Amino acid sequence: MTCCDDPSHVVELRDADGTVGSIRIPTGESIVDAAESAGIDLPYGCLYGACGTCTARLLEGTCTHQEPPRALKDDVLEGGYVLTCVATPVTDCTLRVGHDVQAEAIGTPWR
Amino acid sequence: MSTDQSNSTDEQPIHDHEDVDGPGYPTPAAMRTESEREKTAYVMAPRVGMETDGKDFVGVVDLDPESETYSELIDTVEMPNKGDELHHFGWNACSSSCHAEGLARQYLVVPGQRSSRIHIIDAEDPRNPQIVKIIEPEELFEYDLSAPHTVHCVPGGKIVISMLGNADGELPGGFLQLDQEDFTIDGRWEADTGEWEGMHYDYWYQPRHDVLVSTEWAAPNTYYPGFDLEDVEAGNYGDSIHIWDWSEKRHEQTLEFGEEGQIPLEVRMSHNPEETQGYVGAALSSNIIHFYETDNGTWDWDVVIEEEAREHDDWDMPVPSLITDTLLSLDDQYLFYANWLHGNLRMYDVSDMGNPRLVDTIWAGGLFGDRQEVQGTDIRGSPQMLQLSRDGSRLYWTTSLFSSWDNQFFPEIAEEGSLMFKADVYPDEGRMELDEEFLVDFGDAPGGPARAHEIRWPGGDCTSDVWQ
Repeated sequence: MTCCDDPSHVVELRDADGTVGSIRIPTGESIVDAAESAGIDLPYGCLYGACGTCTARLLEGTCTHQEPPRALKDDVLEGGYVLTCVATPVTDCTLRVGHDVQAEAIGTPWR
Repeated sequence: MSTDQSNSTDEQPIHDHEDVDGPGYPTPAAMRTESEREKTAYVMAPRVGMETDGKDFVGVVDLDPESETYSELIDTVEMPNKGDELHHFGWNACSSSCHAEGLARQYLVVPGQRSSRIHIIDAEDPRNPQIVKIIEPEELFEYDLSAPHTVHCVPGGKIVISMLGNADGELPGGFLQLDQEDFTIDGRWEADTGEWEGMHYDYWYQPRHDVLVSTEWAAPNTYYPGFDLEDVEAGNYGDSIHIWDWSEKRHEQTLEFGEEGQIPLEVRMSHNPEETQGYVGAALSSNIIHFYETDNGTWDWDVVIEEEAREHDDWDMPVPSLITDTLLSLDDQYLFYANWLHGNLRMYDVSDMGNPRLVDTIWAGGLFGDRQEVQGTDIRGSPQMLQLSRDGSRLYWTTSLFSSWDNQFFPEIAEEGSLMFKADVYPDEGRMELDEEFLVDFGDAPGGPARAHEIRWPGGDCTSDVWQ
């Protein structure tokens, strides 16, 4: 079977405590939508890439943003962070998800 | 008259001028003296960015000390969607519609800051509010607006909401106008924005003096993801307030504060409709700025209170106090404000508004508070959104600022929820005292912990009403 016969990819979701689920996502469907359909709670807010509530860190694989990821600065994007509300997998992926990823991506003035 | 009772027309407050009943009070003093003690509070309770995910709700808190459920969350109105971030809200009608016969203060207008979804909640029965209409985000995006914030009812049967972004979550924002009766969208309020970038946050207006004053946070895609010092250095945060011609809906003047007024958030003008002055709390600069109309009709400003940044062992930089909310008593005699990072709230005598005088401070939580627990519960967060009883005797507050900022500065809120507190205020003695008997723990909310943000009660409060 070629990639074009099966335009979907397996996305493994891990939070701070370990794996929360593994879902097959058709190309073009957002990770948030696919997770919600599968009954997995992922954080989200605006749903159009502006707010960053859904920020996740890509550990393995490749995703693409279907709308501009306006909530993330270039250096954060380069650090491997993605917005799951507007991102779809291009290959099989592993993502670190959870409410605490957003603060990790932005940083804090703490030492 | 009680204002926590059903809002049917025959139970409106006594309102004898011009023989017309309406949804408010003829003067701020009437509201202060002729209403009863608040018995119910509505509290915005977002779950965005919580460790245990869930939908936001409007919390109903029992404030009646005679009740068996006093100081408890007695009802929750859960939103139909996730991700709204309920934040600020307002009424369909207030004292600005004082002469509007048949109009009642009945509907809460409850926007989602992140979702750009607006909920209309019927609070005719104050203890059993119900969602009756939803304006979906796409309907706001059609006007190239997003991120609804401050809701005020305005004369002429309208509701005006400050909108912080365009349909992409960038600048410019603007103002959205709704119809007061059927909550349909009229369109944008402003007719002429002038030459500026269109940054918004809060607003207040004084129809008698034909003025609206608006403030600045940042573009949604700047403040939504969290506080990033890079954005301060890049000038992405606001440092100005704006004077508008109210009847012409035209931007008239920018008061640029610069370093002294970074992130000017809540704006509170005198309740006395004769006055042409007010305060704005500059959150990041941690200054209180007094603004006022001058003799030639333009507006000017002075910094009247400065909070000093403090060194903290765990911080790379001196910690600003972060003045996040401010509030004026209905008699315009006292200013209260919260220092969210430091962990205190201040009470100032502002009978001479240009020369405020500190009279009392309560420390509770935060980075420097000497009191870190109440009733054996650790204080998560710090004084933030304030609401004062109409008679000026009871000050209530919640401890959450905004989901992403909470998660940076007080991450324990995301795990265990925020709290609601109360202090007894003695205006005749110029002091206040934390009431340790009162505590509402939003960590125990049915369905999981929640944050707690803006507070209002039926019948109007110190930040809801404007007089013509």
